[in-house]
Amino acid sequence: MSAAGAAIAPLWRLSMGARAAFLTLIVGALCLMLEPVAPWLIKWPTGWVLPATDWVGAGLSWFLDAIKPFARACSAMLSYPMDWANMALNGTPWPMVIGLVTATGWYLGGLSMAALGFLGLSFVLVSGYWFQSMNTLALVAVSVPLAIIFGGILGILANEIPRVKSALQTLLDVMQTVPTFAYLTPILILFGFGPVVGLIASAIYAAPPMARNVMLGLERVEPEIKEAAIMSGGTRLQQLFQVEIPSASSQIMVGVNQCLMAALSMVIIAAVIGGFNDIGWEVLLTMRKAQFGQALLAGMVIVVFAIVIDRMSGSLAIERQRHDIRIVWAVLGIAGLFTALALLSNSLPNPDDLTLMNPVAQAVDQSLTDFTKTNGAWLDSVKNTAMFYGLLPLRIGLDNAVLPFTWGFSWTMAMSAGLFACAGLAGLLLAWRGRVTAGLMLVILMGMLETGIAELPWPFVLFGVAALGWVASGRRLALISVLLLGTILLAGLWERSLLSLYLSGAAVFACAIVGGVIGLVCAVSPLAWKAVRPVCDMLQTIPLFVFLIPVLMVFQIGEFSAFLAICAYAIVPMIRYTRHGLVETPGDMLEAAVSSGATGWQILRDIRFPYAVPSILLGLNQTILYAFAMLVIAALIGTTGLGQSIYLALGKADVGLGISAGAAMAILAMISDRMVQGFAEERRRALGL
Amino acid sequence: MTSDETPAIACRNLWQVFGEGAKTALGEALARPEATPETAAQALHEAGFMPAVQNASFDVRQGELFVIMGLSGSGKSTLVRCISQLLPGTDGEIRIDGENVMGASKKRLTDLRRNRLGMVFQHFGLFPHMTVAENVAYPLKAKGTGKAERTARAQDVISLVGLDGREGSFPRELSGGQRQRVGIARSLAVNPDIWFLDEPFSALDPLIRRQLQDEFLRIQATLKKSIVFITHDIAEALKLADRIAIMRDGKIVQIGTPTEIVLHPVDDYVREFSKDVAKGQHARVASVMQTDGSTGLGPDDPGLTTSMTLDLALAHCMKLYEPVPVRDATGAIVGTVQPSDLVAALQVEES
Ligand SMILES: Nc1ncnc2c1ncn2[C@@H]1O[C@H](COP(=O)(O)OP(=O)(O)OP(=O)(O)O)[C@@H](O)[C@H]1O
Ligand SMILES: [Mg+2]
Repeated sequence: MSAAGAAIAPLWRLSMGARAAFLTLIVGALCLMLEPVAPWLIKWPTGWVLPATDWVGAGLSWFLDAIKPFARACSAMLSYPMDWANMALNGTPWPMVIGLVTATGWYLGGLSMAALGFLGLSFVLVSGYWFQSMNTLALVAVSVPLAIIFGGILGILANEIPRVKSALQTLLDVMQTVPTFAYLTPILILFGFGPVVGLIASAIYAAPPMARNVMLGLERVEPEIKEAAIMSGGTRLQQLFQVEIPSASSQIMVGVNQCLMAALSMVIIAAVIGGFNDIGWEVLLTMRKAQFGQALLAGMVIVVFAIVIDRMSGSLAIERQRHDIRIVWAVLGIAGLFTALALLSNSLPNPDDLTLMNPVAQAVDQSLTDFTKTNGAWLDSVKNTAMFYGLLPLRIGLDNAVLPFTWGFSWTMAMSAGLFACAGLAGLLLAWRGRVTAGLMLVILMGMLETGIAELPWPFVLFGVAALGWVASGRRLALISVLLLGTILLAGLWERSLLSLYLSGAAVFACAIVGGVIGLVCAVSPLAWKAVRPVCDMLQTIPLFVFLIPVLMVFQIGEFSAFLAICAYAIVPMIRYTRHGLVETPGDMLEAAVSSGATGWQILRDIRFPYAVPSILLGLNQTILYAFAMLVIAALIGTTGLGQSIYLALGKADVGLGISAGAAMAILAMISDRMVQGFAEERRRALGL
Repeated sequence: MTSDETPAIACRNLWQVFGEGAKTALGEALARPEATPETAAQALHEAGFMPAVQNASFDVRQGELFVIMGLSGSGKSTLVRCISQLLPGTDGEIRIDGENVMGASKKRLTDLRRNRLGMVFQHFGLFPHMTVAENVAYPLKAKGTGKAERTARAQDVISLVGLDGREGSFPRELSGGQRQRVGIARSLAVNPDIWFLDEPFSALDPLIRRQLQDEFLRIQATLKKSIVFITHDIAEALKLADRIAIMRDGKIVQIGTPTEIVLHPVDDYVREFSKDVAKGQHARVASVMQTDGSTGLGPDDPGLTTSMTLDLALAHCMKLYEPVPVRDATGAIVGTVQPSDLVAALQVEES
């Protein structure tokens, strides 16, 4: 007893991280060793799975049925504004629409914005997707006011009633992690097929950013301004509507901007339900028919819309002198004159007949075919290399992925032993140099690589997550994580979850490395940042859906394409936050370092980097959330895991599966979010920020 | 109507304690056997509360300019926010013209603010989306005054603070001094009887500060409001105040006229404040003269008056050794002063 105590005693002298890693390692090793006698340790037996998905389905169906009449009434009511918006946008002659957008652009941002509006809409016109675009725009035009009102009311209520605030915060956090497709299934069942589904989904999806920004804006109004309103003798309503809300207007406008972008994004995603001839549907259709030139063209139309809407609404948030109203009237007058003349002479072209861009699309198609034909071998080898030597081992482990067919040899027990021995040695070396935690982590990671993420024993995952949670933020997070993951396990979504975790994990890892390096380069060289920044802006404005087109064009359907799409979307925050963190080091710290005689490289390593860690971790956090969001969209082009389940559930209108898989996804995202936040918080505290 | 004896503001045993459940904690701390305000504050501190105002009691008379002074974090803003009920106050009593406002209904407070109270803030607290005229007229708008009337009244106060011609500007287009003029104008729009100013000039540079102080005195001379004025600048306090309250760590340590504060500081903390001011410029002859007639009069009459500063008085009787008469504003002799007392008074500190 005392001997055992003496053996364990040094263990407790280790740091918290080392202890957690050590215990996790033991659990993992035990699982691997016990596999032959107790296979249930690796794979959760199907017999133990509770039919939770069915229960959720049954419960929700009952609930949805109960409120269906009400929902249907709503949807009937909403179809009116929908029709009006459609009529207004499609009924207005296109020169007038272009004139209106140009005039708005002028009013909001002067010449450059007017030019952007004019050129953007002209492109839409000649692309031949005018009507589809107007349909999409009509959806946005109806859903955004709904989202603004709804989100605004929520934000104000949260500001007025503290208890609502914390509840709303939690709700918004959850909503941020629930994948977009998961909203669609219950809405589909409630409201029936048709454009109203997209409308409601996008209103629901776009309300949170509005609520968040209203809340933030009201919170940030200077206390003295609030007090001045009180001392002026305003009632609470006067204070709120005459002083606080107007004072918070720029933050609220940021909310409107984000709300618009979210609505646009969701309207396009909702096209997968079909039943409405909008631009998202056009992209899907052409993609399915492998007409990539056309798909790209339609995708470009979406991008143009995104940019025009983003820039124009973005300038709302910047307080600036509005531009001369006379020019607005002039532009509208010219547009009206043009329309009248064209109508009178009966020569206003029907936008449907405008196919100026079709040759371009065909040329793109042709050259793409040529390109893939000539470079097919090369592209295939890129794809295969990444799959065989990267993604596959990560997914099913070296022991299964190393085959004579790909690696040229097969994996043997001896190799496993050798790998572990090497890892163990390296780990020991690290531990001996005083970095015990790092050594232990190395061994654990090697073990994971050997086993494969999708085949990790569940006790190991639960224990490892608990350990991470404990180190990151404490017992509470550890407990919550285990409980939530346990739910996934019981619900029988475990394997799919691990698959999702593997793909998003791989993407996040790639983003962290590549994005980190790009961020670093941008931090060092302003020139590089000048080049990278517009790309980042662009990538963040594009609706998720569009990312699929180019990867699909080059690499066809498959996991690798999905991986690339996720990376392309999720890398942006990593770049931004890394650069931001590195650049924002306080000047006096740098001066102190320079006067201590540090070289540029030393300053980067010893001063800038440690100081930037919290910021970089926040970037990582965003990257993780982005990756999860994109994972579900990427299900359209072939991923396995939860995303696929959600997508399939949508097709079958299976609420139980859709919601359960969506919830599982949200759980994964939330746990990773809290952990990274925990680490970031810990670092910030350590730095005294 | 309020009679002249009713103080404009009367504060009795006022406490403001920050922290969850402060009211019960304060009640318990005060209910302990042999509890004094000091021990109660100490106990609250130890329990993790922040007693920002402790047992404050004072009166502000009608038409008096009452200055609260103290170091940063001593609780000045908290005290004035309690009086204006921007903070609820944890315990004690606040009477405005005899009416207890602690725990008054929202409606009553709104009413008071619409008619009786005005407040100027350190960082101006101007509404960024309103023009100068709209800012100034806002209290009238909240009250429901008609447009024409409120525009006219706003114009009046804007002229009073010397901002004619800037009515259409937005706060962001003004300089700091101009912004504070807007703040002052706004607080005067409803013509309040009681005026709170929380470090109104601290954010301004010294030259503009002096200019605004003078203007403030000019405005006060015509309006005669009851004022609570906060500052951490002793020179400003001495220049403006009828009476000064000095705060330290939440407690009021001394209340007195500028002369009393300068000549008879109760402790080192107060003495430290007045160390750098030239006493001769603030203390008045009245504070050192004898009124009991115990000293006989000398032959000379250099023409001293009660309101003369010691410096000036000394200049008048540099060469005299005999007691001299002191007259009041009407010219009647009200006391005598021994010239050596003047010198002694200036040297109190060195002793
Ligand atoms: N809402 C609050 N919650 C907790 N503590 C507070 C709160 N407001 C003020 N305090 C604390 O009360 C103390 C007094 O603050 P107050 O703002 O009254 O000081 P002050 O004398 O006005 O200082 P300054 O000259 O810097 O304005 C400070 O220690 C402050 O930290
Ligand atoms: Mg203050």
